[in-house]
Amino acid sequence: MSKRIGTFNVNGKNADTIVEPQMLLVDVLREKLDLTGTKRACAAGNCGACTVLADGDPICSCITLAVAAEGREIETVEGLRAADGTLHPLQQAFIDHCAAQCGYCTAGMLMTAKALLEANPRPTREDVKRALSGNSCRCTGYVKIIDAVMDAAQQINAAKEVAA
Amino acid sequence: MNDFAYVGKRMTKPDIYGKVTGEAKYTDDITLPGMVEGRILCAPVAHAKIVSIDTSEAEALPGVLCVLTHKDCPDIRFSRSTMAEALPEFAFTGERQDQFILTDKVRYMGDWVAAVAAEDITTAERALELIRVEYEPLPPVLDPFTALEQGAPVVHEDCADNIAFEMDHPFNCGDVEKAFAEADAVAEFSGVNSRQKHLHMETDVAIASFESDKRLVIYSPSQGPHLAKKHLTKRVFPDLDDGDIRWISPAIGGGFGARLALGVEPAAVLLARHCNRPVRVTTTREEDFQGYSSRTDMHQTIRVAATKEGKLLAIDQKIVSDSGAYLSHSATTSTVNMQKTLGVLKCDNIKGHLTVVYTNTPVTSGFRGYGNPEGAFVLQQALDRLAEKIGMDPMEFRLRNLKEPGDPSCFVPVTLEHTKLKECIDVGAEKFGWKDKWQGWDAAKEGRYRRGVGMSVLTHASGAGGFLLEHSSCVMKVLTDGSLNLIVSPCEMGQGIIGALTQVAAEATGLRYEQIRISTGDTDVTMFDIGSHASRSMLVIGNAVHAAGVKIHDQICERAVKYFEEHQVKLEASDIKVRAGEITSDKAPGVVIDVSKVAYDAIYDFGEGGSQLNASGSYLSTSHHPNHQAAFAEVEVDTETGQVTVVNYVSAHDIGRAINPLLVEAQMEGSLVQGIGFALTEDFVIDPETGKVLSDSLLTYRLPSTMDVPPMEHLLIEEPLEAGPFGAKGCGEAGLVNPAPAIANAIYDAVGIRVHSLPMSADKVLWALKHGTEEAPGQSRVSGQFL
Repeated sequence: MSKRIGTFNVNGKNADTIVEPQMLLVDVLREKLDLTGTKRACAAGNCGACTVLADGDPICSCITLAVAAEGREIETVEGLRAADGTLHPLQQAFIDHCAAQCGYCTAGMLMTAKALLEANPRPTREDVKRALSGNSCRCTGYVKIIDAVMDAAQQINAAKEVAA
Repeated sequence: MNDFAYVGKRMTKPDIYGKVTGEAKYTDDITLPGMVEGRILCAPVAHAKIVSIDTSEAEALPGVLCVLTHKDCPDIRFSRSTMAEALPEFAFTGERQDQFILTDKVRYMGDWVAAVAAEDITTAERALELIRVEYEPLPPVLDPFTALEQGAPVVHEDCADNIAFEMDHPFNCGDVEKAFAEADAVAEFSGVNSRQKHLHMETDVAIASFESDKRLVIYSPSQGPHLAKKHLTKRVFPDLDDGDIRWISPAIGGGFGARLALGVEPAAVLLARHCNRPVRVTTTREEDFQGYSSRTDMHQTIRVAATKEGKLLAIDQKIVSDSGAYLSHSATTSTVNMQKTLGVLKCDNIKGHLTVVYTNTPVTSGFRGYGNPEGAFVLQQALDRLAEKIGMDPMEFRLRNLKEPGDPSCFVPVTLEHTKLKECIDVGAEKFGWKDKWQGWDAAKEGRYRRGVGMSVLTHASGAGGFLLEHSSCVMKVLTDGSLNLIVSPCEMGQGIIGALTQVAAEATGLRYEQIRISTGDTDVTMFDIGSHASRSMLVIGNAVHAAGVKIHDQICERAVKYFEEHQVKLEASDIKVRAGEITSDKAPGVVIDVSKVAYDAIYDFGEGGSQLNASGSYLSTSHHPNHQAAFAEVEVDTETGQVTVVNYVSAHDIGRAINPLLVEAQMEGSLVQGIGFALTEDFVIDPETGKVLSDSLLTYRLPSTMDVPPMEHLLIEEPLEAGPFGAKGCGEAGLVNPAPAIANAIYDAVGIRVHSLPMSADKVLWALKHGTEEAPGQSRVSGQFL
């Protein structure tokens, strides 16, 4: 097994770290870059807890080889806040609706929801359900998560209209 | 209406900020200097003697620090359940101590055979592969009824009949046989629940570290770290004492009862001891399915009898529970089934018998609801059958048999003080439209898609006062800015207790909610408490917080007298009130003093009055203070595929007072969806020949997804409980009890079949639709009734 220096673009910053061929993206994020907000919960791509964005697309970082993520723009939950610390509308909506309980699935939910809202800024409730159907949550029963995503979509759209 | 500043308000919770930003630290997010990785070798067979273990190759692998087996373990058996430390001596019969950290013999596929510590996880995994174990396979016993037969394979050598625990219903009463003989109608239902997995998203993990002063620090998500610590010292490492361990419970990635049992902590401690390094033991999701706890499958038959006027005369319950290879919580959950499930309605003649059996299957344990969902699935269907026999609306039948204050509670020695179950039924039925939707026992349904309605009622506890060690204590100190540090013992596993306790503390002290910070989860800091389970935290811990809060409030009032004097108002402390950080008095209109002034001056007093505002509070609960719910489900059954869809669910909750309705709602939504999974999709499948768990991933074990969430309404019936903090009862567990029976009764209303084993999955429904229930593939081995 050969180690080498890999360069990862995460949350808009380049970071160099030692990678081995068998390492997964989730390992690099959590263990090398100390971005522990991304969770490993099934390690098989079934639960969505480890979801991050790669060039805007939601991927399971637990079944993505780290080397395959080089050269892509990776975004994790730590990158959601604005530079001044303002929470992303999705984060704020999750807080307002109390849409996180134990919190272990939350990062994956937020990242999947962000990808949805970028592709489909005015989703129906059914759209939200479908987009999040690959993200398992054991605590909430999903109701408040779906409410929060619907609310965040409205907030984002309202802000855009004001800006326009 | 009340004039609360915070109680009763829909507010989000303080711990949520770290969870949406990724800042919250869970056990697996913690790295200690010098920490190494621990892994456990799980047995690949269900039942075997371990002839030999050769660890030499594994030990020789560079980076491996130690490889441990049974011979390295303390020669003492313990139970994963920590409840022995919360129960009085008389109940210990149900807490058999029956396993070693690393086993002497394989008793289920997944049993722990060896443990490895290595510099990194890859090396640890490789070392597991290099451990050579010679097994001598023994015939496994995989079914509790086979295990009870003469000559069956023996799981534990000191338990030749495989009966881990046996007892009569603790509150057998009346003359059941006479009541059955005199009844106008008798009905029976047999059924068994599946081994629902807790499926906490965070798999089992623990870090153990011996510090330079020899003190052991454990980081592990526990629902009751004080209890776990006591259990660990008393039962697992008797050379350690209570004070030798500091147990820190970081953010918890889901509990649901699973964290009330020891997980990998003993193995982490053993490894840390041997390699003199901090060790983190991790587990995989597949191992979680193969080896870790689930709900106990309880095979039950319940017979019920009534008069033609609808008076419930008698209940007779038989339970055969399959504990799996070790007892853990199985005996206690099964006894709770008998008490809570049978205790929901008024009945003077009750009899029950419980047998808990060892098999060579994975360990089962306690799961949210703790026996009540398992029992309600059977009892509530037996009650419906009885109502059908006397031709009565099932809701009316239940209404005619409600308990009233003064009747024995579900925990019979304790009297029921408070119940609003009737209001729950009335309000729920009205909202659901029961009178229109339930069209009688012989209502004809046509077409491929058929709809039906069903209902169920429950009683559940707010702690177990009078039985468990139900006391709690907390400490409060006020800082110079009027903010409060509250040191208190609940375990925040997502249920929102930190938020609700902050509201109680703010209301009781009169300080500002935003300025209250809770310290919890560290046994060096918090006072003894048996943890967050049995919906006890709000009632027991909440009352302790209230008691301390009132003292802080009174201290502020006493010190505030002199500030009013500055405004030329002479007051007694009792004239003063503190609310949301402001000190006022009706006798001094217009005067508002900020609490920070009093708090600051209390500390920065260089004269004789200097003392930080501080208080402790304790509470001892002596009753169960049951909460109640009534639930109404409407389902649609596709008669061509057997698929059942919940189309509407209305539930009403008697919860005393909701300290925070948003958090209560969140608990109810979550428990309902868990209950729908329990009812319809979550199937824990064990290969009947090998004992291997076949549903060992989230692909093969169907957890409810966003697509399974039905329209739902949760109605809160609020009449304060005198003993509750601001009138609150517990609420977190109960929501999982009603879904399965309410959905089962609705399926019967829609298509006239009953599925006797959970989950009521499409294949079973379809089979029953095609063949009828009388020809179902098996008979109940408890009673002989067709399943």
